[in-house]
Amino acid sequence: MVQERPKHKWTMVVDIDRCSGCQACVVACQAENNITINEQRDFLQRRAKEWIRIERYWEAIDPSKPAEFPNVKARFIPIMCQQCDNAPCEPVCPVYATYHNNEGLNVQVYNRCVGTRYCANNCPYQVRFFNFWEPVWPESLRNQLNPDVTVRSRGIMEKCTFCVQRLSRARRTIEGRRGKRITDESMTEENLMPACVMACPTGALVFGDREDPKSRVNELLKEHDPRQAKSVAARGYRVLEDLTTEPNVVYLKKVDPHLKKVKAHA
Amino acid sequence: MGVTRRRFLTMAGVSAMGAVIFGGCRVPDREVLIQSPARLPEDLVTGIDNWYASTCHQCPAGCGILVRVMEGRAKKIEGNPDHPLNHDPVLHMSKTCARGQAGVQLLYHPDRIQGPMRRDRATGELLPISWEEARAELVGRLRELRDRGASDTVLVVTEPLRGHLGLLAREFVKAYGGQHMAFEALEETVLREAVKRVFDQDRLPDLDLANAEYVISFGSGFLETWLSPVRYGVAYGHLRQGREAKRGYFVQVEPRLSATGANADDWVYVKPGMEGLLALSMAYVIVSQGLGDQEASRLLTRGQGAQYLAAYRPQDVAGAIGTTPEKIEELALDFAAKRPSLAIGGGSAAAHTNGLFNLTAIYSLNYLVGSVGQRGGILFNPAPPVAGLPVAEGRVPFDRWQELTGRLASGKPRPVNLVVFRGANPVHSLPQALGFADALKNVPFIVSFSTMMDETAAMADLILPEHTYLEDWGDDLPEPGPGYEVVSYQQPVVRPFHNTHSFGDELIMVAKELGGSLAQAMPWNSFKEVLQAGARKLFELNRGSVTAPDFDSFWRGVLQRGGWWDTARRGLARPLPKPLPVREDPQFTAGEYHLLPFASISLTEGRGAALPWLQATPDPMTTAVWQTWAEISLEDARKLGVSEGDFLEITSSNGTSLEAPAYPNPAAPPGIIAMPLGQGHSSLGRYAENRGVNTFMLLQPATEKETKALAWAATRVTVRNTGRRSRISKFEGSVRVEALHEVEIVRVTKG
Repeated sequence: MVQERPKHKWTMVVDIDRCSGCQACVVACQAENNITINEQRDFLQRRAKEWIRIERYWEAIDPSKPAEFPNVKARFIPIMCQQCDNAPCEPVCPVYATYHNNEGLNVQVYNRCVGTRYCANNCPYQVRFFNFWEPVWPESLRNQLNPDVTVRSRGIMEKCTFCVQRLSRARRTIEGRRGKRITDESMTEENLMPACVMACPTGALVFGDREDPKSRVNELLKEHDPRQAKSVAARGYRVLEDLTTEPNVVYLKKVDPHLKKVKAHA
Repeated sequence: MGVTRRRFLTMAGVSAMGAVIFGGCRVPDREVLIQSPARLPEDLVTGIDNWYASTCHQCPAGCGILVRVMEGRAKKIEGNPDHPLNHDPVLHMSKTCARGQAGVQLLYHPDRIQGPMRRDRATGELLPISWEEARAELVGRLRELRDRGASDTVLVVTEPLRGHLGLLAREFVKAYGGQHMAFEALEETVLREAVKRVFDQDRLPDLDLANAEYVISFGSGFLETWLSPVRYGVAYGHLRQGREAKRGYFVQVEPRLSATGANADDWVYVKPGMEGLLALSMAYVIVSQGLGDQEASRLLTRGQGAQYLAAYRPQDVAGAIGTTPEKIEELALDFAAKRPSLAIGGGSAAAHTNGLFNLTAIYSLNYLVGSVGQRGGILFNPAPPVAGLPVAEGRVPFDRWQELTGRLASGKPRPVNLVVFRGANPVHSLPQALGFADALKNVPFIVSFSTMMDETAAMADLILPEHTYLEDWGDDLPEPGPGYEVVSYQQPVVRPFHNTHSFGDELIMVAKELGGSLAQAMPWNSFKEVLQAGARKLFELNRGSVTAPDFDSFWRGVLQRGGWWDTARRGLARPLPKPLPVREDPQFTAGEYHLLPFASISLTEGRGAALPWLQATPDPMTTAVWQTWAEISLEDARKLGVSEGDFLEITSSNGTSLEAPAYPNPAAPPGIIAMPLGQGHSSLGRYAENRGVNTFMLLQPATEKETKALAWAATRVTVRNTGRRSRISKFEGSVRVEALHEVEIVRVTKG
């Protein structure tokens, strides 16, 4: 008998007003997802892999003058795979290695991937990373590898999965074994929120199920998503929204009390 | 009969075959379903994981962690949701930082010391020996020195020890007659003294950032590495967006834009060492306009009111501070009006010759706005629940290291015959001008308990590698604590990966073998026993987060929860304001540029450099990785004709000189060279060695005037463009981002 699975729609909300740029998420992600060590040569060759990264932007306080001390400020924004509903990476894959699942995830199937790198080329967010080399760890460090996550071999594309291994574990233990719904609380309790969300000290990263009316992402979106909220205080936006990629990651704008004074975007 | 692995596999193979044969009559049900061919192996693995509560030891904060262990291997570290220090009360999870996450890499580091070693006198090589031999060697030497009446020539150097390990070290050194010194590279001596003078407190206070309306921070990198960054990070999230229709305002005052400062609503430049003067000037504005609490204004000014502060009128001191009178006025008025407001200071503000003046002036501001002991302000920590438990055993200020270096070099007044190092790497992290490493060569016998072969261990004659914190027992009193009594427990989450021992156990064993009064002073059989004896006192209190009918259940309870705490026992001190300090200016040596070293967010002062994840963690501001760089203002870069990657020769006023690639930083103020600490290791495993430069080497061994702490921000340097260049390895530019912002266009030309 085929049992119908409960529906999920996984969504991340990133509150940039909370983000302090501390990089905890970056290391947490590498610890969870068996990402090979980014050595110095990887950075010099621009082949470092960070499924989630903190981008830092310099901005002029007064835009009519150059962004240089003292007329400069820095801004942080965490960028990871936006899990687009209308993902530009998907239709270009000749072997269907990247496809969309029914929970809103943009999934990379490693054993289908043949490494054309079309997807990375087509991703406007530049969050897909290619394995240019065979993954190598010193013998003893391999003890740390997460058995729930495949080690990607050379020639394979990889990217943020919203920690799909944790989501499947949640499905197995919470839905399967206990027969309960997956909620914010049950995922938190079992340490099954994505690794970056669990680590983020400031609570800037919020993850949850949009099919669950009580989830925190739903609350935040109700308040902030311009598609739902009409309030002037709504801070939500999607990165590169005009490309109609329909991301499942929604950002909440940084609040800048001084922005009005200089009419930055006049 | 024992089932061997081979035999088990054979049996498994047989039964699987049987299933094929007898099940072949019809198609099994589950094969009718079309399996999704897109199933990732992620869907298939169903290992069982165990989670153990423990305490993080990657920095001195003492956060609670949970370690995920599968088949005897530590896989991942998360925050312990029960632990009061790094707990987010709204999200019901506990948080971790980049350094905490990387703990598992320390455990499985390929270059860990795998067992005890002794240096061969003839060849100078380190050769493996057994623990019994190693201990016999140490005991023999300690006995010989004691019998000679030279036990005072034995020195134990550790990191500042807390909890029962501190107690153990204290007992050992006292009974033996040696000396204990705790080394802290970026010492908090000045902050401790300021807290004592301003608030009459022996313990550092908790900062209630979460409930403040206005926070002004003078140089403290509380979102990077300062004191308890995860706790402050959680609080910062709430300061910003944790309250209904209310967003806390945050001002950072400092001489270089730090990653913490980048998050401020208002970032205010101040000349190095002038933070305290700015605080006094703010106090003048508040007191002269009658905006401060009356009683506090009276006590802070010896009853003289604004007259007492007349020398600090904004228009008179703004030039010396490096800002404008209007800015000072604005800061003062906002600070007085937007209550609860909170003034904190540390980091480079404390690391000048006038550091204590800076911090006492800054923290005294809290009295003016009634934030002392109040929600949204400074909250105090109570004394440890068990009397006599140290929170920083053996901590000594920098001048004692100067003194020791002199003693090592001259052998006077008494020589040092034996040094034991544990968890401290002074050879890397003391200014080169001090000459500590050279002086240490005069010590006839050096013992190291280091986990990794750091610079200090590399000089040792005997190496007794200790467990990592994930393999060892321990307890901790987080300092600063969360405002109430907490004892955090650390337990071995995996079996020792190498042939290592616990430092606590070894102290006890050595004491036993030495016998006499030392053995009597340390009657235990293991460090775990010491911890249990301590836990019994907590059990007998019969209050707090874990209470149980018998001790065994209590012990299991504290290990399961990761510690014991009592939210009812808070620090309730109500100190009275003391007169504001009188202006003191910082003293610098000659030099065109001011050198501002800063703790790397991932490597701190160098302890993280061994771990590849932390080496590869981009610096938030520059995104640079795996190296040292020198931040220079765009103006100075133009003046020197320097662009990114040009090597600068940076020469300290004491003649030491380093080369590092320049990073022209748009936010850097002219006249300031900022360099991260942490790199430049000659020894610390494959990921740290011969990488970058050691910024500590440049430092002038200047001290804070009263506390004698190292004034690490008081060095001036000259800078020269060497003409050589290399690319800075950084994450920025690793991904093509023309869609997100303008991309730099590289023109390729022939030749």
